[in-house]
Amino acid sequence: MTGIVFDIKEFSLHDGPGPRVTVFLKGCPLRCLWCHNPEGLSPEPQLMIKHTLCGHCGRCLEKCDHEECKPFDRCIYACPNGLISISGVEYTAEKLAKKLMQNADFYIKNGGGLTVSGGEPLMQADFVCELFEKVKMHKAIQTSGFADEDTFKKVIDLCDFVMMDIKIADREEHKKYTGVYNDIILKNFEYLAKSGKEYIIRTPLIPNITDTEENLKKIQKIIKNSPWEKLPFNKMAGAKYPMVGLDFNLFKGDM
Amino acid sequence: MSLYNYILNKEHHKFRKNISLEFDKNMSPIERMTYRFEELSKAETPVILPEEQICFIRTIKNIPDIFSEEEWAEIKSKHFIHELGYFSNLSPNYEDAIKVGLLAKREAADEYGKRVIDAILALTERYKEEAKKQGRDDIVKVLDVVPAKGATTFREALQSFRIIHYSLWLEGNYHNTVGRFDKYMYPYLKADLDKGIITEEEAQTLLDDFFLSFNKDSDLYVGVQQGDNGQSMVLGGLDENGNEVFNLLSKMCLISSNNLLMIDPKINLRVSKNTPLEIYELGSQLTKAGLGFPQYSNDDVVIDGLTKLGYEYKDAIDYAIAACWEFIIPKVGADVANIGALSFPKIVDICLHKHLENAETFEAFMEKVKEEINIECDNICNGIKDLWFIPSPFMNVLMDCNIYEGGKYNYFGIHGTGIATATDSLEVIKKYVFDEKTISKKDLIEAVDSDFEKHEEILPIVRYNTPKFGQNIDEVDAHAVKLLDLFSDALEGRVNCRGGKFRAGTGSAMFYLWHANDIGASPDGRRKGEPFGTNFSASLFAKIDGPVSVIKSFSKPHFSKAINGGPLTLEFHNSMFTDEDCIQKVAMLVKAYVDMGGHQLQLNAVNMDKMVDAQLHPENHRQLVVRIWGWSAYFVELDKEYQDHVMRRQEYTI
Repeated sequence: MTGIVFDIKEFSLHDGPGPRVTVFLKGCPLRCLWCHNPEGLSPEPQLMIKHTLCGHCGRCLEKCDHEECKPFDRCIYACPNGLISISGVEYTAEKLAKKLMQNADFYIKNGGGLTVSGGEPLMQADFVCELFEKVKMHKAIQTSGFADEDTFKKVIDLCDFVMMDIKIADREEHKKYTGVYNDIILKNFEYLAKSGKEYIIRTPLIPNITDTEENLKKIQKIIKNSPWEKLPFNKMAGAKYPMVGLDFNLFKGDM
Repeated sequence: MSLYNYILNKEHHKFRKNISLEFDKNMSPIERMTYRFEELSKAETPVILPEEQICFIRTIKNIPDIFSEEEWAEIKSKHFIHELGYFSNLSPNYEDAIKVGLLAKREAADEYGKRVIDAILALTERYKEEAKKQGRDDIVKVLDVVPAKGATTFREALQSFRIIHYSLWLEGNYHNTVGRFDKYMYPYLKADLDKGIITEEEAQTLLDDFFLSFNKDSDLYVGVQQGDNGQSMVLGGLDENGNEVFNLLSKMCLISSNNLLMIDPKINLRVSKNTPLEIYELGSQLTKAGLGFPQYSNDDVVIDGLTKLGYEYKDAIDYAIAACWEFIIPKVGADVANIGALSFPKIVDICLHKHLENAETFEAFMEKVKEEINIECDNICNGIKDLWFIPSPFMNVLMDCNIYEGGKYNYFGIHGTGIATATDSLEVIKKYVFDEKTISKKDLIEAVDSDFEKHEEILPIVRYNTPKFGQNIDEVDAHAVKLLDLFSDALEGRVNCRGGKFRAGTGSAMFYLWHANDIGASPDGRRKGEPFGTNFSASLFAKIDGPVSVIKSFSKPHFSKAINGGPLTLEFHNSMFTDEDCIQKVAMLVKAYVDMGGHQLQLNAVNMDKMVDAQLHPENHRQLVVRIWGWSAYFVELDKEYQDHVMRRQEYTI
């Protein structure tokens, strides 16, 4: 079983209890306007180019015979300034687990562990399950909750801690800003709330979209006494869009 | 506090003046030094600033040379002169001087020491008169006791320290360290608190004032750059009975440093396996302030290493920190901890050009690395002969050994620079030339010699797509372990010109720039002119997974064999210190490095945006502090090459 990973972040401080290592899995069924990890949207490996420092030497456009470069129109090893990379590395669960276990002693000793994030990690649910079986430390997930019920249950049951987003309570609004309806998310929330798992609900505070009084009130009503964390909007959210050739549309029109 | 702003705005500089002195050619060096001290202290104007509790401030800007240029040239032709020629990086016995007073020290001093003490006491008298004139009875009362007699209160002890430290600077010594401050100063604080003559709050204010005093004249103590003045203070660590020293005063020092946000004194925290996480949390609180300290050193490793090197256990356990990070012995150590430096990348460069062609295996190549390290150590060590210091009568009074003869310990410390550049280069040679055979010997040499103009395809591979030191890969880290072993082995058994041994270290000082310019490009893809990482840290362009891998990689070498000092340096974005929870996690990381057997760690909280803006608008960022190699400085006062280097170091964000 292999998975596509677009980043591994050591020593993350905000991704669960204790210091964590966070694995970002590629691919997401949602298209939240404010997404700050645009390289996590597509499930396929893709090129990331830091254009600003490019000296236009053209070396990356010369033909190469690297296997890894074949899907792309450039050589990923040619840049003298190291500006080109592939976002999305294929790992077997075994190889990734082995890599993570190298530093596991630190995380275990300090009450931390592994967090899978994304993208939407549930899009690679089988990979996550296999990874979780092989990694012997505290396991957490950051998820939108958007996956069919069986998939959701299967993964959640293996987690020690769940961080699940409820971004927008209203069905139509949810569709408008994230691209999907929230029925399945709310259904999965019900399962989570009853599961006995330790969890926290998270809401990113997006100006005039999720941070309205109405939305927050409605969410409160849904999640009742669940632990709830409101995440301040990341002003740098748009920074990575040009690197993957996307536009950042959050403020388009109203700024 | 207005005294704080007064110093910050350099208003006290208006009292400063220059002096010129003539020295009779027939006067001996020690006579000249004594005469100069007498004249300088006579020329000093007693200045007591409003609100100031701890007085003594420099008003004479310059310290005239005691030798003419010709005389100095002649001395240099006959002797090895270390840096400026004065004693530096010693850790004097403040404890005793504060406890018994200078009159008692005078009894045992030679005639020059006696004269210097008389001059200090005469200046103190003049300060007392000034205090009387200003109606500052509190100061008069303190100066009635110290420094002539032993201190009886915390305030007297702090004032006594200030006068002694001030006098060491006035004598011309530099990198005048502070030593184990919480150890020798705490009894005074405790006694005052027990007697109820001071509250903790008053003591904190007094300590803030005392900390401020380190910053009054520090611009006159210029090292390689502004800020490199060596006023390093050691807190915590084990005492002679093996008990933890960290006490209320240690904690208060961390708070004072945080209150002041000034670059002096530079705080070193001694820790060990048994140090509780709470102490690391206090340290991390201070790291958050962005001053680049505390710097941590690991008692478990340092004491073991020093003992193995021949220091008596009772001396090793009392170690302090020199100006930057070198481990020095208070009271009896006259080591010269920074007398030379070995450039690891230069060794690799020599071997690349001289031996690669004929090496049949990587092991054979490493044999040559070993030979060349030995040869380079021969050159460094044999080049240091007839070491001579300008006599320092007052420093000699304050040490429990005769520093002219050499103290109880006369070790010479040799830095080891560019370890990551060398390690990564060895990995390139091993992987591509010997194991995979995908780069020929000739091509690699040509690429390096042409600064990667030739065989341009090699650069991105070796620079960005090859395993690096800091990624926690045993096979790569093994080169670093080996290099340090070879270095310490090459120094083992050598006797220096003062009868002491040599110590291998992991520090770089300014050599991360200087040594980098001695060679061209390097096999790891470092281009010509690019600097090495500072001290013991990853290469500037290595793609590092994160700080956990780094501390693992960098804890592997055998530090007890290479114990001259030189910290692993990590840069964290200041957003990592947002709340208590984050600070605790950072503390866990520091503790982990110590628990893994790392020797020394220095952590910076940096803000890249601020530095970028400070280069453009220095006037808006006068207080921005950054860590350079073993010391902190105001960013805007640094030369641009040092600014740039700070900005290029590996930075971790959340």
